[in-house]
Amino acid sequence: MDIRFSGASVSFGERTVLQPLTLTLTERRIGIIGLNGSGKTTFARLINGLVKPTTGSVSVNGLDTVRDEGAVLAAAGFIFQNPQHQIIMPIVHEDIAFGLKNRGLKTDEIERRVAAVLVRFGIAHLAKRRVHELSGGETQLVAISSIVVTGPGILILDEPTNQLDLRNRRLIENTIAGLDEHAIVISHDLPLIERFERVLWFHDGKLVGDGPAPETIRAYREAAEC
Amino acid sequence: MLNGLNVEGSTPLHRMSVRTKLAILLVLGVALYFFSSLFVLVPAFVLAAGIYFTTGLTVRDGLSRLKPVLFTIVILLIATAYLASIREATEAFFRLMALVLFAGAVTATTTTGDFIDEITRLLQPLDRLGLVRAADVGLAFGLVLRFVPDIFNHYQAIREAHRARGLKVRPLTILAPLIILTLKDADTIAMAIDARGFRRPRSDRNR
Repeated sequence: MDIRFSGASVSFGERTVLQPLTLTLTERRIGIIGLNGSGKTTFARLINGLVKPTTGSVSVNGLDTVRDEGAVLAAAGFIFQNPQHQIIMPIVHEDIAFGLKNRGLKTDEIERRVAAVLVRFGIAHLAKRRVHELSGGETQLVAISSIVVTGPGILILDEPTNQLDLRNRRLIENTIAGLDEHAIVISHDLPLIERFERVLWFHDGKLVGDGPAPETIRAYREAAEC
Repeated sequence: MLNGLNVEGSTPLHRMSVRTKLAILLVLGVALYFFSSLFVLVPAFVLAAGIYFTTGLTVRDGLSRLKPVLFTIVILLIATAYLASIREATEAFFRLMALVLFAGAVTATTTTGDFIDEITRLLQPLDRLGLVRAADVGLAFGLVLRFVPDIFNHYQAIREAHRARGLKVRPLTILAPLIILTLKDADTIAMAIDARGFRRPRSDRNR
């Protein structure tokens, strides 16, 4: 993974939500922390081109997020804060197959890949279930599966344990730990990212901390509790 | 009626192509309006009921799916009986029920994905002429079916919040927050659709 921010900033009208930023991300597990409204989600959305930089540029594995939008979307999957919002089809199996159908894959290949991902995440028994009947943890797993099935090398997860009970939090934590893909995780759930290789800390649209998880989390905790 | 309500099975209707089922439904819908004799309409109703209840639906589930439509039909019947005659209302009842039951059978034997695929395929000629984007229309159908239960959940949550605050539940006071919540969701859902690479890239977005 090679994600490069070159003077990238984001403004909405007069308001700058992310100050110009230059950095490179290569680690397998990266956490993003910060208070609400600090620019975490905007930063993450810049990576897969959901938000375009107002100034500067962002590239993912050499692909520019503006010029190569389609390829960037395929390379970096985004799992939204509320997984309900990204599940588009009413049945679990149909939703996981949705992304593959859009890529024009043949039915046999779609079935093979969907079956594999259902087994990989231990949700084969949910294949025929209606999505609005799933528990929080199950919904999150379906959301992750529906992105992983398309084969992105990078996964961006926006507060994946938000609103989950302890058991489901553990389930998602273990799932993220076991991912083969690179993962960038925005989270207020600090234990979830405490073993990550690198953590970025945002405050008021600025990157104020960047380093190994223990140090960055400690500094963030001290600042937040002041 | 198609909100993920298909029932697993291998009846002839399950095996039939979506296009054939929709064509039969269309022909039936038109044909039944040429008949006003109960000797035709009652057997059509019985036949449709027979098909509907042999799709694999339990009687309870089958009846509960009909409830919302029945409500509309009853209002229509009362209006017909009042404005025309009881006989015409009876004819309308059997005609509409035959159609509803057959449509329900199509629903129960068709997955949403297959239905969307068929809609998309049927609109391809218009897509080629540049009049519509077939895939978008198919997706729009899917989204309606997918998010109806979510909108209903929002409605229930707002209603409960009203009750918890001791407020009287009035349609107008519920409608405004419901619309705001739904629009907020729609924004994120649109972004999620982009993130899943559905729509063709537009380089001018968010610029």
